[in-house]
Parts: sequence; C-alpha cells; structure tokens
Amino acid sequence: MTGRSMEPALRAGDWIIISRLSRPPRVGEIVLVRDPRDSEHLLLKRVAAVTDGACTVVGDYPEESTDSRTFGPVQFANVLGRAVFRYGPITRMGWLW
Amino acid sequence: MLLTRLLKPSVTASAHCDLPCGVYDPEQARIEAESCYKIIEKYNASGDELFKTRAIVIKEERAELAKHHIDVLWSDYFKPEHVQKYPEITELCWKAAKQCSKVKGSLDLGEAKTLLDMIDKIADVWTKAGGPQATRVAKAAAAR
Repeated sequence: MTGRSMEPALRAGDWIIISRLSRPPRVGEIVLVRDPRDSEHLLLKRVAAVTDGACTVVGDYPEESTDSRTFGPVQFANVLGRAVFRYGPITRMGWLW
Repeated sequence: MLLTRLLKPSVTASAHCDLPCGVYDPEQARIEAESCYKIIEKYNASGDELFKTRAIVIKEERAELAKHHIDVLWSDYFKPEHVQKYPEITELCWKAAKQCSKVKGSLDLGEAKTLLDMIDKIADVWTKAGGPQATRVAKAAAAR
C-alpha cells in the first residue's frame, strides 16, 4: 500500500492480506474499496458507518485522507474485501483486527 | 530474492490524500490563449517600445498558463474510458501543448489563432465526454 491516511494502523509499504467479504462490512474494519471516482483505483480505509447497501469510509488520519467526506458512501459492491493480516515488514507482522 | 518476489503483493492500494476539486473546463485554457491573441494584435498596433516589451513578457506568461491548463485537462480530467471513446484526444492535447510553446515564442497572429482552434477541438471532446455536467457547478438561473 501507499499513502499516509491510515497511519498509524497501516503505513506506506505495508504488505497486507485482504479477505473477501461474504457479509456486509462492519464499523471499525479496514476495507479495500474501489474509488467511486475511478474504478481502477483501490483504497484502504476504515468503515465509519454502515447504512443500507453502502458504507461510509474514512482514513484514520483525516488530514491526510481523501475518503467518504469527498466521494460519499461506497456501495457494498465496491467493497472488495477486508484487511486481515500484515505480512510485511516482518517487524510489524500481525493481525489487523 | 526469489522468496521476496513471490511474497511481494501484486496489487497496490492507496491510503492517500488527494484534492481533486473536479472542475475542468477548456475555457480556462482558451481565455489564456485569447489573451495571447489580443496581446499580439496590440503589440503589432503599438509604436511604444516599453509597451511592446511588456506585451511580450505577458504573452509568454499567458502561453505558459494555457499550456498548464491543457496539461491539467489531459492528465487529470480525461480518463482511459474517454481515450477509448475519443482516441483523438491524446494527439489534440499533445499538439495543443506544443502549439502553446510556439505561441510563447512567436508574434505571429496566425499561430495564436491555430492554438484557439486546437483548444476548441479539445473543448468539443470535453463536451461530448459529458464535461460540462460532470465538472462544472451550475449557475443560478438569476445569474445567467
């Protein structure tokens, strides 16, 4: 991953395993979403609220984040999965929940 | 290392801050190009050396701004799906940016006119690609 908006939970250069979701995302989870403005662009953000069919996502470091405050809620169809495990760098290896 | 290569993620996700205001309009480039056009006209009509010197400096500045606005349209507004639908846009933007450099170094009114025509061609694609609705804030009826 790149960028600073999920610091300190995630840092640029982290290697992360994403698990597909078979249920709606839950508040507090870090999710991989398609940028609603550009479907080829993938973002990692934290779920702040879940409504019917969509969730509001924000960065942990809001000053450095472009998120639902800019592009609105993300439809569940654009939530590709949930960050579950960081496997790199080795010193920061660990579960993400 | 082979192991590192195997483990290295294949997809990069971002947690970035970008600030795309989302307002893109070729008119911005056109206004700067119109300035170049009018400045060249005024330059040719003037006998005042000081005025003529200032005209050159300002025209070069405006040509550079026109180039910047074309570059922003090209790099920030036009997306792969636009290019797929209107493949001519790549060359239009590229040639118009080059034409800005020509206008920057020239006092030929014809070059400035060519730049205006090129920007209008970009504007046609921008309009066809839904630019006016997608990027501009509508004016209140009373302000029209």
